[in-house]
Amino acid sequence: MLSPFRRIAIGAVVSLSLVLTACSGGGSSNAGADLELSDKPVTIRATWWGADARAKLTNDAIAAFQKKYPNIKVEGQYKDWGGYWDALATTTAAKDSADVVQMDELYLASYADRGALYDLGKAKKIVNTSQFDNEALATGQVGGTQYALPIGVGVLSVVVNADLFKKYGVDLPDDKTWTWDDYARIAKELTTKSGGEIHGAAGAPGFDAGSLKYWARQDGGDLFGKDGNVSLKPQSLVKMWKFGLDLISSEASVKASTMVEDQTAGITAASLATGKAAIGSAYNTQITALQKAAGADLRLLQMPRAGDTKANFFKPSMYWAVSSQSEHPAEAAAFVDFMLNNQEAADVLKTERGIPANKEMRGHLEAGLTGSDKAAVEYMNAVTPGEAPVVTPNGGSGIEPMLQRYSQEVYFNKTSPEAAAEAFIKELQGEVDAAK
Amino acid sequence: MSSINELRRLPGSQRGARQQNKAAFLFLLPWFVGLFGITIGPMLASLYLSFTDYNLLQPPRLSGLDNWTRMLHDERLHKSLGVTFSYVFVSVPLQLALALGLALLLDKGVRGLPFYRSVFYLPSLIGGSVAIAVLWRTMFGTTGLVNEALGLFGIQGQGWISEPGTALSTLVVLNVWTFGSPMVIFLAGLRQIPTSLYEAASVDGATRLRQFRSITLPLLTPIIFFNLVLQIIHAFQTFTQAFVVSGGTGGPADSTLFYSLYLYQRGFGHFDMGYASALAWLLLLIVGLFTAVNFWASKYWVFYDD
Repeated sequence: MLSPFRRIAIGAVVSLSLVLTACSGGGSSNAGADLELSDKPVTIRATWWGADARAKLTNDAIAAFQKKYPNIKVEGQYKDWGGYWDALATTTAAKDSADVVQMDELYLASYADRGALYDLGKAKKIVNTSQFDNEALATGQVGGTQYALPIGVGVLSVVVNADLFKKYGVDLPDDKTWTWDDYARIAKELTTKSGGEIHGAAGAPGFDAGSLKYWARQDGGDLFGKDGNVSLKPQSLVKMWKFGLDLISSEASVKASTMVEDQTAGITAASLATGKAAIGSAYNTQITALQKAAGADLRLLQMPRAGDTKANFFKPSMYWAVSSQSEHPAEAAAFVDFMLNNQEAADVLKTERGIPANKEMRGHLEAGLTGSDKAAVEYMNAVTPGEAPVVTPNGGSGIEPMLQRYSQEVYFNKTSPEAAAEAFIKELQGEVDAAK
Repeated sequence: MSSINELRRLPGSQRGARQQNKAAFLFLLPWFVGLFGITIGPMLASLYLSFTDYNLLQPPRLSGLDNWTRMLHDERLHKSLGVTFSYVFVSVPLQLALALGLALLLDKGVRGLPFYRSVFYLPSLIGGSVAIAVLWRTMFGTTGLVNEALGLFGIQGQGWISEPGTALSTLVVLNVWTFGSPMVIFLAGLRQIPTSLYEAASVDGATRLRQFRSITLPLLTPIIFFNLVLQIIHAFQTFTQAFVVSGGTGGPADSTLFYSLYLYQRGFGHFDMGYASALAWLLLLIVGLFTAVNFWASKYWVFYDD
């Protein structure tokens, strides 16, 4: 592993060359309006994060693309989540970014605001967006410009292990009407009836940005406002943490230290997957991986509700974007179009990157889906989402680790929910301000 | 540099010496390329960056002393300094004491010394690796080996690495466990002490303890000093273990937020490369200061036998 000093050193060399090149001007070369595909041989690079399974599917899709466009060669590169962002930042700084990049909602504005992404509006002739809902397209826009297109969509859900419910004689809740109080009560019942063998809940809210977003939207708010500032209300945070604290102290959930361990272990090795807890939270598309790891009857339930607010939301699981540094934006856009709109690609990629945001592809795949994939799509169709959340502003990309840090402070009783809520909002707004 | 001076002093004509100088510089060339291209160049660049606001994607903007004054109010920086200092001050003395103790034992002429030496040295080679850090995380987890061992004695364990109160201690244990490299150096130092001194002392009726205090320890001080300086510098830069054990977060609740981990988070998590560069230089200054103090203090306790 590279030491941070080595990394800083690389960053430093890169920036020095930037300083030098900055003097020579040289604006972006892709300012032209109409993109045309070249018929000469062109090589583009595509990069994504993910495991080997994703790489295999993506490379199969690349092969299909190359068959359709024999003059375009695509080199695929993939990394794990953490290394991906390090590499993307340094290669972008070195003006050596891959042509096609997989983007996440957290980083979209960071890259778009700094001019690192290509305006896909200029590639309208090549990238077809007619099969995307406006809400879906909006998730890829920053300041009204379409910088990225959503690949798939996920929805927050509660995942229960029906086998464990049966084993300890606890009834599955009616997820059309249940509240957070029901959630806590049922979790506690599981712990008690199992004699401490398992815990009811596998976690407490506050270890991912999604759960916080849900609790904020339950109160009619959200994390960020349309002006790109933090709009989160401290009461929402306090409510969420108090709920979590009650789960922990009543032993309805696993211990706080177990939650920390689960977080590093990853979803397929955490308490829900290992059968040490019966209720967890996940995005609906993660059910396939969870089911495989648990080897039990896992089911998707609607999130508990507080009042009538539609708190749930469609989260774009990831996007395709084109780098503004690409020398071949037309070919890169053609690749994005193929990955999103081509049936052949959809047949290969299926729902691995989320349920397709492209309606036609979703309908095309739905017929052939079985088991947990089918359950994930059915679940999503049953959700009525509220208003689409605002894209995480530039500077907000670090919200998740920040939230985890404060949640740990609260759950280990090192600070009160009230004090943590105030400090969290202040620190998050500080990061957003610093990036302006 | 001393080798170049020695070359100069070699007998032979002036011309021959010049020829040899040329050859020496030629052989050193790759090292110079590395020194200037990979070490000094980037260091100077990062010094420049420490006075800028630089987000990696846009050219750096000069920001004067902003990064440096910001450090005064950065609570997480202060926290990371606290974590790093307690780690250095606890783990380095413990590690050196263990290394010296085992070196003394092995020096007594154990059968199969090369074997033990290799076995004890092994953790030093692999202790900083990702694999060992992953192993550590599993061993000290709630259902890990450590708790199973404790369970045999009827002791109810806990998640050592996931409780804020004990997470740092497990990393201290990891560092102490890599006592092999100072131990090997201690062993070599012990071998340098003339046996005649011990013989004379035992003729005079000095006890083992007395011999250790009056002969071994004073003559070993240069080695202790060397190990101390090296291990302090090493401990200040701890990164991999903390990164892997906490998944890069420094958690739980910032209890393993090492300085270099925080620096990394600023630079690569928040695209705050200007500030991260300033932090890197602050660490250099801190380590430099500690080393200078060490050298200054060595006048009073290190005994050179020449």
